[in-house]
Amino acid sequence: MNLDHIRNFSIIAHIDHGKSTLADQLIRMTETVTEREMREQLLDSMELEREKGVTIKASAVRMIYKHRGEEYEINLIDTPGHVDFSYEVHRALQACEGAVLVVDASQGIQAQTMAHLFAALEQNLTIVPVINKIDLPAAMPDEVAQEIEDLLGVPAEDIPRISAKAGVNVEEVLERVIAEVPPPKGDLDAPVRALVFDCHYDSYKGVIAYVRMVDGVITGLPKLLAMNTGKTMEPLEIGVLVPQMLPVNELHAGQVGYIATGLKSVQDLDVGDTITLAARPATEKLPGYRPLKPMVFAGLYPTNPDDYNELRDALEKLQLNDAALTYEPETSQALGFGFRLGFLGLFHMEIVQERLEREYDMDVIFTAPSVEYRVVKTNGEVIAIDSPAALPDPTEIEHIEEPWCELRIFTPAEYIGPVLDLVTKRRGELKTQNWLDSKRVEIVCLIPLSEIIVDFYNELKARTKGYASMDYTLDQYRPSDMVKLDILVNHQPVDALSIIVHRDQAYHKGQRLVSKMKEIIPRQMFEVPIQAAIGNKIISRANVKALRKDVLAKCYGGDVTRKRKLLEKQKAGKKRMKMVGSVEIPQEAFMSVLSLEEE
Amino acid sequence: MNDLPRLGLYIHIPFCERKCPYCDFNTYAGLEALYQATVEALIAEMARWADPLAGRTISTVFVGGGTPTVLSPRQLEQLFVAVHRTFRVAEDVEITCEANPGAVDREKFAALRALGVNRLSMGVQSFQADELRLLGRIHSAKDARVAYDMARRAGFDNINLDFIFGLPQQSAEAWAQTLEEAISLQPEHLSLYSLIVEPGTPFFHWVNSGKIVAPDEDLAAAFYEMAMERLAQAGYLHYEISNWARRASSTDSESETPHFACRHNLLYWRNEDYLGVGPGAHSHLRTSGNGSYIEQRWGNVRPVRTYVRRTCEGKPLAEFVEDISPPLAMGESMMLGLRLVREGVRQDRFAALHGCSPSQVFENELRRLSAAGLLTLDAERIRLSRRGVLFGNQVFLQFLPEA
Ligand SMILES: Nc1nc2c(ncn2[C@@H]2O[C@H](COP(=O)(O)OP(=O)(O)OP(=O)(O)O)[C@@H](O)[C@H]2O)c(=O)[nH]1
Ligand code: SF4
Ligand SMILES: [Mg+2]
Repeated sequence: MNLDHIRNFSIIAHIDHGKSTLADQLIRMTETVTEREMREQLLDSMELEREKGVTIKASAVRMIYKHRGEEYEINLIDTPGHVDFSYEVHRALQACEGAVLVVDASQGIQAQTMAHLFAALEQNLTIVPVINKIDLPAAMPDEVAQEIEDLLGVPAEDIPRISAKAGVNVEEVLERVIAEVPPPKGDLDAPVRALVFDCHYDSYKGVIAYVRMVDGVITGLPKLLAMNTGKTMEPLEIGVLVPQMLPVNELHAGQVGYIATGLKSVQDLDVGDTITLAARPATEKLPGYRPLKPMVFAGLYPTNPDDYNELRDALEKLQLNDAALTYEPETSQALGFGFRLGFLGLFHMEIVQERLEREYDMDVIFTAPSVEYRVVKTNGEVIAIDSPAALPDPTEIEHIEEPWCELRIFTPAEYIGPVLDLVTKRRGELKTQNWLDSKRVEIVCLIPLSEIIVDFYNELKARTKGYASMDYTLDQYRPSDMVKLDILVNHQPVDALSIIVHRDQAYHKGQRLVSKMKEIIPRQMFEVPIQAAIGNKIISRANVKALRKDVLAKCYGGDVTRKRKLLEKQKAGKKRMKMVGSVEIPQEAFMSVLSLEEE
Repeated sequence: MNDLPRLGLYIHIPFCERKCPYCDFNTYAGLEALYQATVEALIAEMARWADPLAGRTISTVFVGGGTPTVLSPRQLEQLFVAVHRTFRVAEDVEITCEANPGAVDREKFAALRALGVNRLSMGVQSFQADELRLLGRIHSAKDARVAYDMARRAGFDNINLDFIFGLPQQSAEAWAQTLEEAISLQPEHLSLYSLIVEPGTPFFHWVNSGKIVAPDEDLAAAFYEMAMERLAQAGYLHYEISNWARRASSTDSESETPHFACRHNLLYWRNEDYLGVGPGAHSHLRTSGNGSYIEQRWGNVRPVRTYVRRTCEGKPLAEFVEDISPPLAMGESMMLGLRLVREGVRQDRFAALHGCSPSQVFENELRRLSAAGLLTLDAERIRLSRRGVLFGNQVFLQFLPEA
């Protein structure tokens, strides 16, 4: 047991800069996986990750590397680049001593390069910068090296220049890691302390905890204790990740591995918890993770109300594997019993929806996303509101405050004009501009959070030919003239369709929403009026014309099967809609705010 | 032996002189070389059923397609001879043959009569020249009138005419005119179909590419109501969603299916048994023996060559077979039976087929739908209301089990 020969590091970078591809090369180089089992972005094992070509979950792999006649145990954690999954990065970093910071040679430093770098520096990790994709025709390794030198003080000529895809200079990355990243500290003789940095639920083995061993040694399968929840567990298996689970007999301080805890209930263990030996518990638990504040909230309802309990189970299990997700019960007049979910952003929300549908086979409805407002009531009380339906009566409201954030946009200088124009349109204010070099600039501005969660990023990309990137952090709350916009379907307000908007935009958004609803809501057997209202004032209306006939005319040659299948399909489609009053509303209506494009 | 249920026989002739651009039936143009082989295959397929269906009586025969009249009198004769040689055919059998105004002559009508065909169904589709052109029909309005006269003179006293409404940009006047002409001919039966743009057809492609405008559904609904009204005045009884029969005599009662209804199609709507032979033909049979009882629907392979080859090689012909469970069978009885807008689903017939009463099995659905004004229900039968006729799908799907 020699901690000197262990290295633990994360790979961090802006989205798509080549983290997972670099991980592939390291896995290949160390022959951790046979050539036959090897595939591109091996660590992106979730079906969704493979489909979207994006890493969503951080994932660890243990590699054995021979260097100058010595054998090293290297634990690598590949992390996501997308801003919505920064909590994954944050947790991975806490299990490491170093971080390899990958920068795309054709794109240079981008918004999440900075964000993830700062997160690593906050944890006092050793940073190993690497310039990737030098094979690209558009690569500018010298310029990018200079940017990194300016940022980190590492001499430009010392930064490895690699192509993860072509496998050029990849070995140098590991050598740097061995030379520069310190081995883990940790006391082998102290009582066991293992940091749970991630979990997942396995239908056979129950809760699986991914751990970084901080102190002590676990040998065999002793009784263990989760220090936060106080639950004891009789583990079924301990092991390392190669990257699939490989049982071992012993895990010791400094190592990264997993514990099949034997726990069946997902509430019995938290991500961030400390696992210790039941027989010889540690006295002090590890600091764990600071709780995360979601940025965006939305209602989640089962399409079929009978599935409520199943949905709750699914959420519990999903949350175990997605520590950034929060939820609590919520009730809607229109949709019945459901949950209020908190997310880091809309991409996160989309992933949660897809995972619920695919991994848990749930059929769900999401309502429009909202940020968390602060409402100061006339009686002096201050309440936090993340759902339009929960907004008090206007007469009880003194004023409303909305969250603002600091937004950092990295863009080539020629797009400064269009970017600032967008910021102003969305009620933002310019704070500063920092020149990264003569061609690129960081625009720092203050802007309401609600203005950037929907559609902002796409619009930014469109205005900068895809070159800009952005990152944001919550700033402060400011008083704002917000109103609740209600949508009435067939003269009944549908609480799940309400949104909170700035008064200046209410009229425009109301019109857009009404015409959108008119498109989405299928014609029914009677005419359905749709109205947008602020308080009692109707600001927009449209009618979904009554359907005049719905009957299959043809029934030819006794092909009853085909006809029946058409009806079955129609029936299934009906089932996926929500009956609100006597009107059938399709799922996508509740999210239609997301597609109210500009103008 | 005599209480075995009666049976319909459908013979599919998968050929047309030209394929109409809206048609998605299993029929092909340009396969003249396969006519004879197909006739022989049809005869061979029927022969396979001689034993299994021994003891059952064919009460109706329907020769459809496609355009059966593209076959020569000799080929038609071979077919009919085979039908009688293979099956026991009821004395009062109804034998319908489809015909297209462009593909008939005096000789062919005479041949059909001589072979025992006692009902003729002609695809007229429209009396408007521009509409016929749009539909890609090979005949003119005049051809249709001439063919109709010819059929009458050949002795056909039970004739159906098919029409299509809801064509792109069809005007109300044009539709009214077509209706009037149809009525003036006084056929025993009329079938009116609302145009459905089926995926895979040239029409579908044309609509998507903007070459023609999509049919207007609201207008189609208006045309349908127009037809209901006008045909009622003219003495036609609306007995099925798309079908009307001329009032035969005072024996045609208000609630029952009229005399001139197509008896073969009634078998479908009453959820009775039929055997379909030919490429892509569909069958529905209930068989019991040795204490077991099965109800199945199946469809034959569609490509003509595959069908002929498999028949020659003695191989199975079904492309799919489904077992119909009792709940599904009951759902189908409702979905089909409710199409019969006068007769409806008769409680006694339903009970005879399924051994239970529809008002019990579907208590909730019936209550809901009649409260919504889509159904009427009494001790004898369940029927669509007038409003229900327009929203049939909304009613039918309620009775189908969750897929
Ligand atoms: N030309 C070239 N392409 C590369 C190189 N490294 C990665 N890529 C490509 O860049 C794209 C993104 O690579 P990934 O490894 O998935 O990037 P990532 O940083 O893991 O992305 P996220 O996890 O989604 O943040 C893929 O299409 C890779 O094939 C390289 O060295 N050269
Ligand atoms: S004639 Fe009838 S069956 Fe033949 S292609 Fe035209 S519509 Fe189809
Ligand atoms: Mg990745």
